[in-house]
Order: sequence, then structure tokens, then C-alpha cells
Amino acid sequence: MATVSPALDAHGHADDHSHGGHHEQSFISKYVFSLDHKIIGIQFLITTLIMLMVGGALALAVRWQLAFPWENMPVVGQLFGLFRTEGGQISPEFYTMLFTMHASVMIFLVIIPILAGAFGNFLIPLQIGTDDMAFPALNMMSYWFMWPAIACFACSFFVAGGTAGPGNGWTSYPLLSDLPQAAPSSGSPQTFWLIGLTLVGVSSMMGSVNYLTTIINMRAPGMTLFRMPLTIWSMFITAILQAFALPVLTAAGFMLVFDRLGTIFPTDIHSVFFIPANIIVNNAAPTVGGGQPLLWQHLFWFYSHPAVYIMLLPAMGMVSDMLACMSRKPVFGYKPMVYSMAAIAGLGFIVWGHHMFTSGMNPALGMTFMTSTMMIALPSAIKVFNWIGTIWGGDLKFNGVMLNCSGFVAMFIVGGLSGIFMAAVPVDIYFHDTYFIVAHFHYVLFGSTLFGVFAAIQFWFPKMFGREMNDTVQRWHFALSFIGFNCTFFPMHLLGIAGMPRRYADPYLHGYLEHLLPMNRFITISAILMGFAQFLLLGNFFYSMFRGKKVGRNPWNANGLEWTAPSPPGHGNFDIAPVVYRGPYEYSSPEAEAIGQDFILQTVPHVKGVAKITHH
Amino acid sequence: MSLTPSLKPLALAGFLSLATVIAGCSDSAYQSSFVYSQGTLSLMREAQDGTKETPGVKKLLDDRFGDPQHLKAWGKLPVDFGGTLTSVEEVSESEPGNKIIKLTVEEGKSLPMKAGSVKFVTGACSGESVQVSKWNAETGEATLAIAPSKEIAAGDACAVDGGTVLSSGRMLYMRHCSHCHGTSGDGNGPTARYLNPKPRDYRHGVFKFTSTNDMSKISRDDLSRIVKYGIPGTYMPSFLLMKDDEHHAIIEYVRFLTLRGEYERKLVAELSSDFSEVAYDSRLKAGEKKPEIQSELQEYLAEDLKESASTLGDELAEIWSAADTEEAAIVPSMPRVTDTPESRRRGRELYLSKTLNCADCHGIDGAGNGPQTIAFEKNPQKANELYNEPGLHDIWDNLNQPRNLQLGMYRGGRRPIDLFSRIHAGIKGSRMPSFKNTPHEDIWHIVNYVLSIPFESDPGATAIAPSAAAESVAAPALVTAPTPK
Amino acid sequence: MKKFWALFFFFWPTVAIISCVIAPSRGWWFPSPPMSRTGVQIDGLFYLILIIVTITFVATQYVLAYALWKGATKESGSKALFSHGSHKLEIIWTIVPSFILVFISLSQLDVLAEIRVISKFPEKATKVAEVTARQFEWRIRYPKPGTELTTVENPGDLYYVNELHVPTGKPVIINLRTQDVQHAFFSPQLRVKQDAVPGLVIPIWFDVREVGNYDLVCAELCGWGHYKMKARIVAQSQSSVDKYLKQLEADQNADGTKSEAAASGDE
Repeated sequence: MATVSPALDAHGHADDHSHGGHHEQSFISKYVFSLDHKIIGIQFLITTLIMLMVGGALALAVRWQLAFPWENMPVVGQLFGLFRTEGGQISPEFYTMLFTMHASVMIFLVIIPILAGAFGNFLIPLQIGTDDMAFPALNMMSYWFMWPAIACFACSFFVAGGTAGPGNGWTSYPLLSDLPQAAPSSGSPQTFWLIGLTLVGVSSMMGSVNYLTTIINMRAPGMTLFRMPLTIWSMFITAILQAFALPVLTAAGFMLVFDRLGTIFPTDIHSVFFIPANIIVNNAAPTVGGGQPLLWQHLFWFYSHPAVYIMLLPAMGMVSDMLACMSRKPVFGYKPMVYSMAAIAGLGFIVWGHHMFTSGMNPALGMTFMTSTMMIALPSAIKVFNWIGTIWGGDLKFNGVMLNCSGFVAMFIVGGLSGIFMAAVPVDIYFHDTYFIVAHFHYVLFGSTLFGVFAAIQFWFPKMFGREMNDTVQRWHFALSFIGFNCTFFPMHLLGIAGMPRRYADPYLHGYLEHLLPMNRFITISAILMGFAQFLLLGNFFYSMFRGKKVGRNPWNANGLEWTAPSPPGHGNFDIAPVVYRGPYEYSSPEAEAIGQDFILQTVPHVKGVAKITHH
Repeated sequence: MSLTPSLKPLALAGFLSLATVIAGCSDSAYQSSFVYSQGTLSLMREAQDGTKETPGVKKLLDDRFGDPQHLKAWGKLPVDFGGTLTSVEEVSESEPGNKIIKLTVEEGKSLPMKAGSVKFVTGACSGESVQVSKWNAETGEATLAIAPSKEIAAGDACAVDGGTVLSSGRMLYMRHCSHCHGTSGDGNGPTARYLNPKPRDYRHGVFKFTSTNDMSKISRDDLSRIVKYGIPGTYMPSFLLMKDDEHHAIIEYVRFLTLRGEYERKLVAELSSDFSEVAYDSRLKAGEKKPEIQSELQEYLAEDLKESASTLGDELAEIWSAADTEEAAIVPSMPRVTDTPESRRRGRELYLSKTLNCADCHGIDGAGNGPQTIAFEKNPQKANELYNEPGLHDIWDNLNQPRNLQLGMYRGGRRPIDLFSRIHAGIKGSRMPSFKNTPHEDIWHIVNYVLSIPFESDPGATAIAPSAAAESVAAPALVTAPTPK
Repeated sequence: MKKFWALFFFFWPTVAIISCVIAPSRGWWFPSPPMSRTGVQIDGLFYLILIIVTITFVATQYVLAYALWKGATKESGSKALFSHGSHKLEIIWTIVPSFILVFISLSQLDVLAEIRVISKFPEKATKVAEVTARQFEWRIRYPKPGTELTTVENPGDLYYVNELHVPTGKPVIINLRTQDVQHAFFSPQLRVKQDAVPGLVIPIWFDVREVGNYDLVCAELCGWGHYKMKARIVAQSQSSVDKYLKQLEADQNADGTKSEAAASGDE
């Protein structure tokens, strides 16, 4: 029975790739149109990291305008000679494009694909102990559908002459996004944007179907549901969310496209899902219709609120794994963690209305949504307490992974707590669409998710490339990002309290906001610091890919199945098919001690002479 | 007019040549540039650029108006550039190097309350600008922060805070206006291309909604109304809450850009018949020789154009100054006729009558759908060519259909006097002609009728039977649109 | 170095709290005290949540930092605590927050109903004006003096732009609508916000406690000129409002003749 676990071999062997019966592949099929989940995951990772820099550049352009309104914008304002006679002073619709595309790129091309696409792909088969995804070809397509989406987003910048890309916010509320004459960007740029969005949706959908099937059907022997690492649980729940919420967005997107048929074909025939009658925009003929713009908000948020959790849950799962490993302790309350994720997902479907408290929907609905929204804070709180419980009393390793994970927890607390203000309808009436909201969701999406991702990149980097990242650089990166992040976004709470509305190209036009200019300058300088700190990560990433210190199979002394595979695993993942005997978090357990270590791999059978650990 | 000797340079500066009071304080912001009109660019290159001795159109324009970073104030233009023209009465020194100059102004004018800088217009230091560290508004004594490079003499003219209005107008314009109306006021900012109707291109010197009679320019008050209340039904928003001095600065800057554009147009008009690229080509074809045309151009630039460069300025100054006078304003000879059903009925009869023929454009029921709106118009820019789309066009070549009077949306304002002015003076630059020869009483009847249209349950059906109405409307004709005044 | 990082996590929440404490004195706080009755209630609820949230924030951040400090000061080589969790703790930190959350949400309901539910609007609230948002300004329509506001325009209605005059000291109702895309009526000092949705007429009520000028801005992205929708609410006594409307009526009926000008000049 007791096979020697390959993980006990401290240094991985270079000849690991020779098994498994996978034949030699050409460069194209191995690295480009690859069916291997690991390559696809890494493709997703690198693509999204590049998109992260694109989105970041857009954000800095937004910040420039807010710090130095209407002053000649460096680089961006000069590009392509768009604003030549203005000397680089951007136009207001260009500003709307900047923040719209910042959000679109960050949400649809960075956060969602980096979690589900990159880490979901890379980790799911490895952590459940199988050789690949259930549908490798579907998996490949889910990556390659990203590129048409990226192409559509890129086109949408330029189809209207460059000064007006999509500019209706990432929420694209009708009628602004519906009537082509309503805004410079509402013509073909909006159509390209919608098509891009749909393609991202297709990509996500293919991924989620694949993850669900793989996790349900392809777990290694002994990998019961409650022996799955929390990463897998989070990916599983995320995939459920995607599978059920995405169709609604896609349907809504198509409804909007049908309302806008005239921007695709030269036709006057179109639907009026969101168009009421007798609306006159930009001197055009009054609209004919009987539609309802609020319908879009309901449909959009029915997807997009769960999408917030799609953008968060995987990071929560991964952070749980990493915190346990870096604290050398089991996750505190494994099952409550699972249940709270499930509760977040379940409640996530009935809270969308909290985005619409000022929209004019029935106030009775407002009360319902307020209560459900308050309740969703509960599982989030439980998770926070459990993370702190996990760290408590641990033998902490203060490396980049641990710091980023702690940063995740600290930032998630802020993001969660500021959410309570918005859940309370009367208070939200004041805060709706102010910078308080901007602060809140950046704490959740950047402060939490991205810090989680920074940790995850370093943690699983050895498994991806067989080398480790430079930890000193990672810690510097953490410190600069964390300071830059808090200096950027914490003051935004105060801007929100001061009543500064979002999406204003020139807030200082209004007397009551004039005095906020110095604070906005401070924020912009911090944002630039934070933006440039990301070059440390990128530099470290690409340098370490080729020059990093080589490591063995299990450099972190972690328990998961992925650490029993070679680093990097060959095509087919495991040289010895894993069999699972225990849960993923038995750090510092008596059994582990009995074999003289502070961890015990999931593949290690019961150690004789030590009482079996039973819990829950 | 008798002037004391010390004020002579002032007169010189104010009335004669280029008092280049430069409006450039915080000019590092909003770096931008003026563009030349298509008209200028269609001239022969030599006519655009001139030579060393003889300035071409571009230089004539730049000398008088500058570029956004270095605006120039052409003294003769009726624009409040800001600042006060003064003359140095005496120069003293309290301590070595600490220059104090005593300034006086022309009789009837007063010294400014504040003084940030003085700029010398004449004398040895001409062109130099010096910060004022201390200012006494009563005596006119200014302590200069640093001594100018050359000696100041009594009698030198200098401007106190010269061009401040213009330069603050520019800053405000770049912040609020330029993305639609363009840096040069050509109605071609980056946002402009999406708007319907298009933002005004000031360079024709024509504004649609004025309270001045049909031959006059727009008055400052009219500009102010437009900036304050916006133009309903267009993207021109209301800037009601702007401060008064900001309103003033913006309006003066708009006038500055307008005059620049109009001046440019007039210069081009002088040259274009003989020296545009097209004319040049056809002259070559007709057998003229290149050097002949060149030397003719040189001669023209050196003599005729040089002269008209100055007289054109005078002309512009005259007509734009006249717009703000009482003579230009439209004043009805009688108060508004009481708004009674009879008056409206009379108004409707006039509306449908053959002489006024409002329905030809605005339609029988005022829906803005008269026969002219579906006729193809001749394009005045291109001989014997019709516009591609049916309907009426304005002088900016934009489709500009008659107003749908049923909507109750009045771009030029909804006061009775506003509607009266629209009818009396027409809408300048558009196909709405002036009806200044119509008796004022009749105009009031029409105003009463027009104001009642939005509230008619069945517009057009009430006062006069549709059949009678149809008779009085001229049959649609292909190219019969009334020519603009 | 370990201790440095643990201190780092003590340090930043401290800075955050300090920055919030000094914020009101630096003007980084509400633009003014609430100037309407519902505004007072909203602020009250805000401070209630702020207190709860601040306590939670301080407690959790410092516990987190202390947990890190404990880890940082642990003797090297000493074993980590082995625990899979604690039922008791889980139950405590499920039940306590849920009570707090339910308490918060119940505390909001009355105010919400008062602000939004039409049947709970103050009985003596009068409809003073219709505010129509359009790209990019606020068009105001008052009923002809002496008549009631209706949703359709009537002859003699008074029109203005970007300036809404309302009486102080009594609840007023505004009919909010939009001519084109979605906008939002936001007055930061009055703590009033309501979207203007195409196709709907949405009544909102508020009362202004003091005479003054209050900002009115747009809080829903409405296109490139979103930030340009600068307007103000002028709150004044009922008699001043009546006087203003009388003047507005005279201005709106101006026919440009001398007698008219003289008549309005006398006022």
C-alpha cells in the first residue's frame, strides 16, 4: 500500500515528462492551440496580465483628468494626433470612454479571466488529481474566444474616429446605450462593445461548463467533496454562478443589440425592449416604442451582481489555501467556509436590486433587497473571522504570498464594511453614484481580488514554470502596491462623503467640490505609484520564468495534490496517479509530526501509530 | 478732441496701429493652436505665406490675433480685452532700484482698483511686462517688482493688467466651450461631429438668434442670453450659474474668435478670385505665365491687401459696435396684441396667407413639415448642384429644417418679444427670412397663433378649414426656397 | 523584518482612522449639514452605521494585525497551533453579526418608507414644479400662478432653466422626468437623489429647512456632458417664491416695448 509519494522527493526530476503516452507535439499545438489545461491557464494568465496593464493605463488617464482637468494629457492626449489643435486636451466623451473601457477591460478581460480562466484552468485538474479538463477542446476554445472579444473591444476604440470609444459606463444603461444618437459613443462603438461582451460571456460559459463537469466527474479516487481544497470549492461555486447568471446577461445583450439593429444594418426595423415612446435625443425624430429602460437594469444586475462574486469567490478560495499553508495551520472552520461560499452564491442571486435603490423601482422591492443584501454580509463576515482564525497561532512565513493574503483579508474587511452603507437604502440614496461606491468596489475588486491574485501568482508560479519568483521583489511589490492602493482608494470614501459624483470629467465645475482638487491630485500621484509598482510584478514574473531559482515539486511544503506532480507537470500532469486519503489542510497535525514534518500530503495514507484525525 | 501731450501715445495705441497688449499670463495651461480656415488654405501658397517684406494672409492674421498662448489685442476691435491703458506721468525711485511710476488715464476713465502687472506699449521698454508689487489706486503710483531693462520715460504708454479678460475668457472657453465650438471657434471641436444641430461656427460672424434687426450683428446681450439660458432643443446647455465676470470674459472671447474668423474670411475674399489655387490653375491654362502671376500677387499683397487689412478692421469695428446700439435693437411699434381667439385666428390666416407663406416651410399645422422640407435645395457652394438630402440648409451647409411649432420648444427664447424678433429679423444664416415689412400688429397676431399651437388639441383644424388652408399654400417647387437675406 | 510586517498591519488602519477623524475639519466630509428633514434622518442612520462599522473595522483589523504579530514573535521552530476550528466560535460569530445586520436593516425601513412610498408622503406637501432633465441641463416648469401642477403643459406655465425656487419650511413635491436619457436629481446638501427615468414621471418630496442656495447636480451617467448639469435649488420664503414667480411671469411675457420695460423696472 504505501507507495513512496513522489512529493517526498525534495527535488523534482527533469525526466518527468517522459511518461504518460503523450506524443511529441509541434510548437503550435503545444503552446498556441494547446489542449493542455496548464498551457491554457498560463495563456490566460499572461493575456490577463497584459490587459491589466492596459486597464491600468486607462485608469491613470482617468486620474490625470481628475487631477489636472482639461490640461494637456500626456501620451494619451497626443496619440494618433486625436486632439492636435487642442494640444492634447481631451474631450469629455473621450473621458467617458476612458472610464468605461477601464472598467470593461478590468472586469471582463482581467478579473474574470484571471480567476476562472487562469487559475481555474491551471488548478482544477491538478488539485482534484486528474490529467486534464473534461473537455479539452472546449477549454481551448474558451481561451481563443477571448481574442475576438479583445479584438472587438480594441475595434470599439477606433470605429468612431478615435475620440469616442464606448462611453456609456460598463453598465451601459439605456437609453444612453440604446439610441445611437444619444452619445458620440452610442453608435458602432457600443455595438462592438456589446459583441465583445457577448464573446467574453461565451468564453466564460465554456469554461464554467467544463469546470462543473470536471469537478463533479473527474476527482481522483478518495477525493470526496469535503476533501476538496477550498480553491476547488470556490471554482465550483463560481462556475455555478456563471452558468446560471450569464444567460441572462447574454439575453439582455441581444435585446439591446436588437434595439440597435440600425447600427449594424442600414435598417429602420428594430425592437423596443428598452425604448419608451416620445423620447427626443439629439434632435432626432421622437422614438416610437413602449419599452422600459429599467428592464435593462434588472437584467444587467441579475448577472452583474453574481458577477461581483464571480470576481471574488475564487480569490477567497485561493487565499484560504495559501493562508493555511503559510500559517502551517489547517483552515479554521473548513465546512463553515464552504457553506458561507455557498450562501454568498445563493444570496448573490437575490440582491441585484441594491444597485437600483435610486432608480425609481417599487420601494417595497427596495426593502426586500436591503434585507437580503444585509444578509449577504453575514457569510462574508464568517469568512473573515475564519481567515483570522487560520492565522491565529500559526507558524507564519512572512513572504510575499503571506503578505498579499493578509492584505487581501485586510482590504476585504474594508470593502465589506463600506458595503453596509450602500445596503442601507436611505444612506445609499446619498451615496449612490458617488466616489464612495468607487472606493467600495475597488476595495473589493482590487484590494481583495487582485491582492489575492498577486499571492496566487507567486504561490503557484513554481508549479507553472518549475522556478520560483524572487521573494524580495514580491515583498517590495506588495508594500508599494498596498501603500499606493490605500492612498488611492481610501480617500475616495471621503470624496464620496463630500458628495463627489462618479464619472464627472470636471467635478470642480461645482462649487461644493472645488476644494477637493488637492485630494484628487494626491490620489492621482498615489495611483501612479501603484501603477508603476506593477512593473515589479511583471518584471519578476517574466524574469523568473527563465532565470528564477529552480525548485522541486513541493517548494512550499503544502498538502495539495498539485504538489505531488512534477514542477512543471508534463502533459497529463501526474507521473503517479494520485489517490486521496485525507483533507487538504492537515498542517502541523499529529500525523504529520509523526513523520517528522509540519505538513502531510493528501496522498499520504494513514500513518500508523497516530490517532486518525477526525473532525466535524 | 484735445489731448494733453502726455496722453498722445495713448491715443496712438488706442486708435491707430496694433496695440499689441498681450494677454498671456498663465498660458502654460491649455496649450493649443488656432487653425486657418479652408478658405485660407485654398489660396496659393505665396498668398498664404507672403514674403519677408509683404505679409500673407496667415501673418496678417497672426499679427493681429496671435495664437492661443499669445493672444493679441487689436486695439481697434470692439472687444473688451481687459486692462486699462495708462500713460506714465512721472518716474521716481524710493530706494535705488526700486522704481515707482505714476500712471494716469485718459479723461473720463478711472484707474483700476487692482494692478497685477504693467505692460509697456510704447517707449524704450515697449513690449516688456513687469509685475507690480504695490499699487495705489488713488494716486496711480505703482511700485515695480523689478526694474525694467531700459529706461522708462514720462509719456510712455502702458497697459495695466492688459488682456486679463481675454486670457481668462480663453481659459473658460477651453474648459467649457472648445470641445464643441473648437479652439478657433470654427464649430469643429472633437465633440462637434456627433451633434445635431452642429455647434455654431463663429467665423461667418453670423449668429441665429438675435434681438437686433436683420442687417445687424448679434449684440452682447443676445450672446449673454444664449450663454445663460442655452438653446433648448440643441446641445447648447445653459451656463446660468457662471459668475458674471466669467460670462463677460467668455462672451468677449467669443467675439474675439468671431472677429478673427470674419477678418480671415474677408481677407480671403479679397484674394480668392485671382489667387486661389483653383484660379491659379485656370489662369495658367488660359495662357498666363507663372512669374507674371507671382509678381502680380506680390504687388497685390504689398499694396491692395495691406490697405484692406486695415480698412477691413475698421469695417468690422463699425458693424460690431453698431450691434450694441439702440438703433440696432428691434422695438415693436406697439405692445403685444392681447392674446384672444380672434387674434390667433387672424394670426393663422396670416400664417397661411400667400404673402407670408409660413406654412410652406412650417406646414399647415405647424409641424415643421411644409413642402419645402421635402424639396431638394440648390447648394450655393457648388454651382448647379443640389444637396444630397431634401430639406432646407443654412449657410453653414447643415440641414436645418424648419421648427416643429407643436413641440413648444423655442430655441431663440419663448418670450413674445423673442418670437417677434424671429419673425421680424428672421433667423440669421438660416432660411427663415426677415418679415420686417410686415406690420407689427400682424406679427403679434402670428406670435399669438404660434404660441397657441402646442395647446391645440387638433392643430390646424380649428380656425380655418383645412381645404381653405391647403389652397393658400404654394405648391411645392423644386428650387424655390427663399434666398437668405 | 517579520515584526515590521506585523506592525505594518497595525499601522495602516491607524492611519485610516486618523484620516477619518481629521477629515471633517479639512472639509473632506459632507458638503453641509443636512438641510432637509429626511436628510437629518439619513445622516442619523449614516452615523449609526458608521459607529458600528468603525468598531468592527478597528476590532477586526487589530485582531488580524495581532495575529500576525503573534506569528512574528513566535520562537522559530515552535509548532503551529493545530486546530480545525471551533463550533462555538462559529456559532457566536454567525449569530452576533446577524443580529446586528438585522438591526441595521430594520432601522432603515421607516425612513425609507417616508422618503419613497408615495402613500406616506406628507399630506400637506404641495407640488411646486416639474423638473425635466435633458442633456445637459435642468428645465424647470412651474404651474401658471394660481393653478395646480399637472403632468401635461398648460398655457401660461412658467419656464426656467437650471434654477429651481422652492419655499422653505414645508414639504414640496417635484415631478421629475427626463426628455432624453436617464439622469438623476441629486442635491448633496438636501441629501436628495432620484433617477429620472425615460418614460416615467417620478414624484419626489423634500422640505428645506433654511433659506439658501443648494446644489443640484446629475448623478447618473447621461453622456459626455454629465458633469455640466450644474444647477441650484433656491430655497426662500413662500412670499419670496411668489414674488419670484410673478417676476418670472412678467419676464416671460415681455414684448419688448418701452411700457413693459418701465413696468417691470418699477418692481
